[in-house]
Amino acid sequence: MAEKTVSILKALGNPNKAKIIAHLAKHRGENAESIGKHLGYPLPTIYKYLRELEAARAVESEVKGNTKVYYASDFKFEVSAEKLMEAFEEQTLEDTYKAKFGDEGIKRFREVSKKAKAGKMTYRQAASTLGVTYYEFASLLQETGAVDA
Amino acid sequence: MHKPLVADSSVLIALDSRGSLEDRLVHWKDEGYEVVIPMAITKEVIDEPERIAEEIRERSPFLADKMKASAARIKSVIKQGLIQVEIVDYKKYSKVIDNVRKHLSTLEAKPEHMIKKGDTELIALIIQLYYEYKEKVFVTTFDKGLLKALKPFSKEVDYQVLKVVE
Repeated sequence: MAEKTVSILKALGNPNKAKIIAHLAKHRGENAESIGKHLGYPLPTIYKYLRELEAARAVESEVKGNTKVYYASDFKFEVSAEKLMEAFEEQTLEDTYKAKFGDEGIKRFREVSKKAKAGKMTYRQAASTLGVTYYEFASLLQETGAVDA
Repeated sequence: MHKPLVADSSVLIALDSRGSLEDRLVHWKDEGYEVVIPMAITKEVIDEPERIAEEIRERSPFLADKMKASAARIKSVIKQGLIQVEIVDYKKYSKVIDNVRKHLSTLEAKPEHMIKKGDTELIALIIQLYYEYKEKVFVTTFDKGLLKALKPFSKEVDYQVLKVVE
């Protein structure tokens, strides 16, 4: 959640990207070429912005025929000192992991970490099974309280 | 070398995240242990967090700073001499390393080339230290799987697991 807030903050911090979101809110399902034409941005720039906005989950896309079309994500954004504090303080590795692998990923992490905790596999093997680095795996175990002191 | 203590990344990462790494290392030093890690461990506790921090900096600046700071703290304790980085002599101990790799490969049901370097280097370093100094080697890790992988070598190496108690 906090990670998404920071990503969207960053996207909104660039007026050109913010204009793309605003444009897509009105003209749903446009392709990159059409957005570029409307806003007067060169196509490579539009593609770069759209990639970044998708990564920030401020924009979504789908493929229709041979064309990729874009939509503004349904997000609400409230800025206050408290919200900013939460956005920067709540970030955990678990948030990052969840953003990358979703709820299924968290479920898989729990299963694999259970095996590693029981000594059925080494931590390095567990990290490799999950597709993360050793540092991420060991830190996630710390965060989730799965390490025996 | 007096009371060599081979530390695994799991312990270094856990102690650092609890804010007690330096104190624990000083305590071990006072008790006469010499904490050693193989080169592969420095990659896991310094290079990996530094690289991930740069990858996530744009999306998660706070978390990126935390990771970078963790890597910096571990670099600092190495610089202070609280942890020694030992190079595993691949040439001299190639047979030992091959055996470790083969053993892990069987244990993990994976081809040998897929075995992670950290596991192999840790076990190889324990064996290497024992062969070199002919005295008991201490090991500290939270990874029970790693200890299981080490067990078959207990006939040729005198080692003892040191538990981390907070």
